[in-house]
Amino acid sequence: MTTTTDQAQASPPNDEGDLLLDARGVKVHFPIKRGVVFDKTIGHVYAVDGVDLQVRRGETYGLVGESGCGKSTLGKAIIGLEPPTEGTVSIDGTDVASLKGSELRRRRKDFQMVFQDPMSSLDPRQSVESLLVEGMRAHGLASDGKKTTARLRELLTAVGLPAAALKKYPHEFSGGQRQRIGIARALAVEPKLIVADEPVSALDVSVQAQVINLLEELQGEYDLTYLVIAHDLAVVRHISDRIGVMYLGGLVEEAAADDLYAQPLHPYTRALLSAVPVPDPEAEDRREQILLAGDLPSPSKPPAGCRFHTRCPWRQETRCDDERPQLRVVEIDGVASGHRVACHWAEQIESGEIQPQVVAPTATVGDLLAGEADGSDEG
Amino acid sequence: MTDTATTPRPSRHGDEPLLSVRDLSVTFRRQGEEPFTAVDGVSFDVRPGQTVGLVGESGCGKSVTSLAIMGLLPPRGNTVEGTASFEGTDLLRLPADEMRDRRGRDIAMIFQDPLSSLNPVVSVGLQVTEVLERHRGMSRKAAQPVARELLDRVGIPDPDRRLKDYPHQLSGGMRQRALIAMALACAPRLLIADEPTTALDVTIQAQILSLLKELVEDTGTALVMITHDLGVVAGLCDEVNVLYGGRIVERGTRHELFANPRHPYTNGLLASIPRLDGARGAPLTPIRGSVADNLPWDHACAFAPRCSQPVDVCTAQTPPLEESGVRALRCHNPVR
Ligand SMILES: Nc1ncnc2c1ncn2[C@@H]1O[C@H](COP(=O)(O)OP(=O)(O)OP(=O)(O)O)[C@@H](O)[C@H]1O
Ligand SMILES: Nc1ncnc2c1ncn2[C@@H]1O[C@H](COP(=O)(O)OP(=O)(O)O)[C@@H](O)[C@H]1O
Ligand code: SF4
Ligand code: SF4
Ligand SMILES: [Mg+2]
Ligand SMILES: [Mg+2]
Repeated sequence: MTTTTDQAQASPPNDEGDLLLDARGVKVHFPIKRGVVFDKTIGHVYAVDGVDLQVRRGETYGLVGESGCGKSTLGKAIIGLEPPTEGTVSIDGTDVASLKGSELRRRRKDFQMVFQDPMSSLDPRQSVESLLVEGMRAHGLASDGKKTTARLRELLTAVGLPAAALKKYPHEFSGGQRQRIGIARALAVEPKLIVADEPVSALDVSVQAQVINLLEELQGEYDLTYLVIAHDLAVVRHISDRIGVMYLGGLVEEAAADDLYAQPLHPYTRALLSAVPVPDPEAEDRREQILLAGDLPSPSKPPAGCRFHTRCPWRQETRCDDERPQLRVVEIDGVASGHRVACHWAEQIESGEIQPQVVAPTATVGDLLAGEADGSDEG
Repeated sequence: MTDTATTPRPSRHGDEPLLSVRDLSVTFRRQGEEPFTAVDGVSFDVRPGQTVGLVGESGCGKSVTSLAIMGLLPPRGNTVEGTASFEGTDLLRLPADEMRDRRGRDIAMIFQDPLSSLNPVVSVGLQVTEVLERHRGMSRKAAQPVARELLDRVGIPDPDRRLKDYPHQLSGGMRQRALIAMALACAPRLLIADEPTTALDVTIQAQILSLLKELVEDTGTALVMITHDLGVVAGLCDEVNVLYGGRIVERGTRHELFANPRHPYTNGLLASIPRLDGARGAPLTPIRGSVADNLPWDHACAFAPRCSQPVDVCTAQTPPLEESGVRALRCHNPVR
């Protein structure tokens, strides 16, 4: 999670040996059923629709995007909680789908998930000790009583909780402390990959930083690889080496964290970054927003062609509406080869050859309410 | 925005406060439990065309403050003290039916939880249209296209179709936006917005915040913006109140407060959030502990157990709120 390691430079990971996670062509489609007697499938939610994702050992990959774009579903598909409709996921060289029985159970411990809401992901009737030991026992890591006690103490220290916490129950802790328990539980089985789905978004601002710092410290200490899912772009930038931006089930841009924020190339990423308010009034006064019209289309009826074309201010007459852009390396001076974009016109947009259509509203709120919107003021 | 660093933006809509809250306290009493004071002597003013922010983390009393002003606290089990005068009328002492009347007309609120405030059996379009008829005196014919335009402007896609939808047919985010459209439609003189965009995506949040800005600037609505997001505050509020443990601990114009935070809590908050701009890589500086560690305000500073620079008196005496102009500070040992 530092900017100085080699891993921070994003180039497409071609050295297979260095990959911990390799997901190819992953699709997760949920059937929409209707009918009382026969479960008739009347359509699909295309929650994840063709994603390639590689994460190197020891790196932190951040996945961002708006609500409903498929981040959590992709995360679950990766750790095997949601079987992919299509595609393969391999972790540490093993195809997750091919794992069965005891082998699956044994390998399950390699990838753990940390959830957004620490309260609902921890069984309220179990003490912290029993929560932690449960996973260890399932993976045969709790056979020796003395060793287990030592390990529990080590885990608590690692996540910054007092030893007395073992005998307590989840409701006796604050949100930040509960998230620490969730992290300790994931750590207990010595995983290689942790998928953290919105690990700090339920926490208070003042406590978020504690958990972010904790995740960073533990990564160094336990050689962890992280896939962090979050909608807070500042948090993701801080924590990630590389970042993928999702829109309606697909990756639209991928780059090293610094490159993505310094030079976003996809129209959606540009709009997303321009929309984030920053806690600095001077910067706020200068901020030029790209306001998008409308809303995310439904993932059960994704638009044809580029999925962003219904909201894209740079949309062109050709290609955008009928040809789905692939994630590709762009030919722009100074842009690293690891910076990939799924937009037909990325080069022309960056050079300024293609200009955005400003979606300027025709009337201000004041005009509207004065009844001037349609020229028939009767109020 | 053209505010200067030290004075609040002179409102072009008038300098007299529209709402003046003084020493507002709310104490909850539950059987078998110690009384709990959620809001503890809060005072602030809002002028027409001005946006005043209340910022703080969860549980610091933001929602209770707004519900108390709106007369929407549960009818039993709490005591409300102080005054909230709206053009000379104390809203806290207004009979329920008069308050209800005001709420529709002069004062509107956008809630954190939108479900409770939409009528489930009336289509969204009709709800917005009716507000326009009732409050803007428009005919139905004139109101309909305006309602459509408002829904469009709050980012509800396909507004022609959505006009006919009932609240339950909309997603949570869309319901929130419908509610915002309704609040805009009544062009209230005072709008209290409690975390109006917290549940929304950033691109939609940007649309809504720019609409709220327009409303304030165009119609002179006085806006109380309640949020935990310092970014939202930095862009929108003329004046910011930082709450901690039910009390205002610091106040200033947005430029002053962010450039020169003097309360260790404000300062700590700003140091603990990752920034989209600026350098990356350095660890964040968190505030230690959590609100669970707070001391009671009676004989101490509630923040003392988490403070980065407490002094002896902090655990012996309540720091008073010292005010000078817009600036206010409650601390025995402020930053710098
Ligand atoms: N089990 C399921 N059955 C049907 N649809 C589902 C299921 N799980 C998720 N979806 C749908 O798939 C899409 C992607 O959902 P997902 O939870 O992955 O989004 P997300 O990006 O994590 O959003 P958020 O930021 O709100 O958590 C959504 O439209 C969601 O409603
Ligand atoms: N009806 C109620 N009864 C008892 N306590 C309440 C009630 N409503 C709020 N509180 C408490 O008052 C405090 C402030 O709550 P609130 O104003 O909702 O916080 P926030 O700043 O997050 O909006 C919290 O500790 C909360 O638990
Ligand atoms: S392909 Fe077209 S619609 Fe899609 S992002 Fe690029 S310009 Fe916009
Ligand atoms: S009064 Fe004391 S404990 Fe409270 S914030 Fe100021 S220095 Fe810190
Ligand atoms: Mg999710
Ligand atoms: Mg609240």
